[in-house]
Amino acid sequence: MKKLLITALSLTAGIVLTISCSKSDSGNQPGKSDSFDRKGLLTNVSNNIIIPAYASFQTSVNALNDAITVFNSAPDAAKLTAAQNALVAAYKQWQSASQYEIGPAAQVNFRVNVNTFPADTKQINDNITSGTYNPDQLANLAAKGLPAIDYLLFGTGASNAAILLQYTTDAQATKRKTYLAALIAETKKLTDGVVTGWNGDYKNTFINADGTDAGSSLGQLVNQLVYDYEIIKNYEIGIPAGVQSMGTTFPEKVQGYYDKASLQLTLFHLQAVKNLYMGKDGLGLDDYLIKVNAKYTDGKPLNDVITAQFATAETKLKALSDPLADNIRTNPTAVKAAYTELQKLTVFLKTDMTSSLGILITFGDNDGD
Amino acid sequence: MAIKTAAYSVKQKIKDWLVKPMHIAPLTTLRIAFGVMMFISTLRFVMRGWVSAFYIKPQFHFTFYGFGWVKPLGETGTYALFVLMATAAICIAIGLFYRISAILFFLAFTYVELLDKTTYLNHYYLVSIIAFLLILVPAGSYFSVDAWRKPNNKVTYVPAWCINIFKLQLVLVYFFAGVSKLTYDWLIAAMPLKIWLPASSHLWLIGDLLTKAWVAYAFSWFGMLFDLLIGFFLLSKRWCKPAYLLVVVFHLFTGWFFKIGMFPYIMIAITLVFFPAKAHLRVFGWVGLSTSEGARRRVYKVSPSVSSILAGILVLHFAFQLILPFRFMLYPGKLNWTEEGYRFSWRVMLMEKGGTAFFHVNDPATGRSTEIINSQYLTPFQETQMATQPDMILQYAHFLADVYQKKGIRNPVVTAESYVTLNGSGSRLYVDTAVNLAAENETLFGQNKWIRPFKDNN
Repeated sequence: MKKLLITALSLTAGIVLTISCSKSDSGNQPGKSDSFDRKGLLTNVSNNIIIPAYASFQTSVNALNDAITVFNSAPDAAKLTAAQNALVAAYKQWQSASQYEIGPAAQVNFRVNVNTFPADTKQINDNITSGTYNPDQLANLAAKGLPAIDYLLFGTGASNAAILLQYTTDAQATKRKTYLAALIAETKKLTDGVVTGWNGDYKNTFINADGTDAGSSLGQLVNQLVYDYEIIKNYEIGIPAGVQSMGTTFPEKVQGYYDKASLQLTLFHLQAVKNLYMGKDGLGLDDYLIKVNAKYTDGKPLNDVITAQFATAETKLKALSDPLADNIRTNPTAVKAAYTELQKLTVFLKTDMTSSLGILITFGDNDGD
Repeated sequence: MAIKTAAYSVKQKIKDWLVKPMHIAPLTTLRIAFGVMMFISTLRFVMRGWVSAFYIKPQFHFTFYGFGWVKPLGETGTYALFVLMATAAICIAIGLFYRISAILFFLAFTYVELLDKTTYLNHYYLVSIIAFLLILVPAGSYFSVDAWRKPNNKVTYVPAWCINIFKLQLVLVYFFAGVSKLTYDWLIAAMPLKIWLPASSHLWLIGDLLTKAWVAYAFSWFGMLFDLLIGFFLLSKRWCKPAYLLVVVFHLFTGWFFKIGMFPYIMIAITLVFFPAKAHLRVFGWVGLSTSEGARRRVYKVSPSVSSILAGILVLHFAFQLILPFRFMLYPGKLNWTEEGYRFSWRVMLMEKGGTAFFHVNDPATGRSTEIINSQYLTPFQETQMATQPDMILQYAHFLADVYQKKGIRNPVVTAESYVTLNGSGSRLYVDTAVNLAAENETLFGQNKWIRPFKDNN
């Protein structure tokens, strides 16, 4: 027993000594630490990217809410245009806010509640006619949020004059206004909740979970970056272009189908993903990849390959034009070309980046040694 | 004359190793430790929501070859199975209805593991094996409820094989884990530890150290030596104690660094079996068990017919254990890349492997094709595991062929475009994108010729 104790003690002592020696080594050269400052990345991303993105979205939602209130009180052509502009503005801001389905946003399923598209116009019209609307019902996901408001403000008539009639002389005019008001009120409430969450305790929680497992902030962030990016690839471009339906195109399934700003929205969305990757001007995933000296298959720095692919994808998208739905009808080849480049970036982000950083993106145990 | 004596002594040694009566205490500790660990493990699994996430939610399961008949039992059934497992684990620990509990635990646990390859872990395989071996021995006949209920059935001595099979099994596990580390990647490139250790740089006290390259090398080499040798040190009377201490320290450290769940604690618990009986008895004495009954030996006896059945089972089992880890030699190419002959061989922690797979279904009648959104059919966990494992890619392709056949497409052509990175190699095409996987057969030991070879710098 005594021998055992002595062995245990000397072993522990040895380990502690080794550690403390190397500790003081690095202590002699301040700032020369070999480890990547993950906490710094999380601080930068929360302060300079996530919180400002939510703040801008909140402002735009408030403006949309105001515009709809004014419009509803006495609908006319000018107020309709104002509300339409406010919707497009909010939809653009949303593109920067959709990636962060963690913490407060995850709690309220922010993304699907705000932006499940394409909108289910039948469900929307049924809700209007029946005068009942239960936001918690699964079927209503496609009848709420920005896509539904997009339909109500842009898609209920062939022209603005026709749309205006839906809110004035139409038999369902009052009910339609009530529904519109309910939708923006719900979006506003959700947004306010998420903003409050981030301004409260969550920011610290986020910054302090600085590990790399699936539950860590970085693990969740990378997971969400990839997930959100795949929304661009699959739902904004791929599915409408017929990539997932034996070539049958579905132009009406694009994001922002009625406001016809789909491509602009996608470009904003891609920019937002890139911003998160780059950490804007501060510490981002790009710096992390450089720090660990991550390489692509051809031996080039992985960050260079990813940055170049962001640019290529953007160029291909910019070769298209709004309305994207018309592009899909008339020039599907160009849309598919953009899709191909977007797909390459998926692999870089999902496989190369995640694997180089040793980030776990799924829950469950690993094989032990 | 001298040769004859030596031969006799080897023979005697083997005989001792098999049938010499040994005190049952090490087996008793193993039984209790295993039961307790399995109870905690099962509870943890349920509380993390994994029963639902892994066995209820998925609409498709990657079953093992020949075990396609193993199907999830639905929500109630699956939870019931876990309740059974937890109950059986407790019964094993306290030694109540021991044999039947051991059998039930083995069956329930193994059934769950056979449901889906996605969750395959070497230590689950080990649990199945230990549970199986426990069925064969009278581990519940001492210091147990059964022995207290029916004192006539109490056993104090067992033939040595009852204890030695567990030691042998554990030595094999460690040794093969060590052998699998004798590779260029592990020893010369210090991969994947060079990626994994810096990922833990947030850890208290040692975080900074983990980002240094020499530390990755030190851990790689130490890990290799530890795995190769620790089993033999545990076997030796002289080194057992320090070796066990090393086991504890080693497993606690890896448990701290890596997300490997219950594994370190299970190993710490079951390697206690290597200690001699008197060490166990001393501990039993501390908790108040009277251990002075050694005077009246009650030796466990099995009838000759049972004994030959047992011998047959064990010879077969250990032959399999010795051969399976080497089956990879039947296949060309880099093992960690093709994973042909990878499972059931104690290959752990060898790969940082990631992949993205796009599947295309083509209608030969129209020539039109479609890309699959994998998340429509698979959970994220299944998708990640599938993308880097050829047999799962093939199974999924067959599943997709069925789905599209039902949608009215005759003989759909299914191709996979999977990009995989291995130990920081950068992503590259994994399988031949021109091959119709729907027409490729799943085989037990056949080679999948459609896997593209791994080339450095291709």
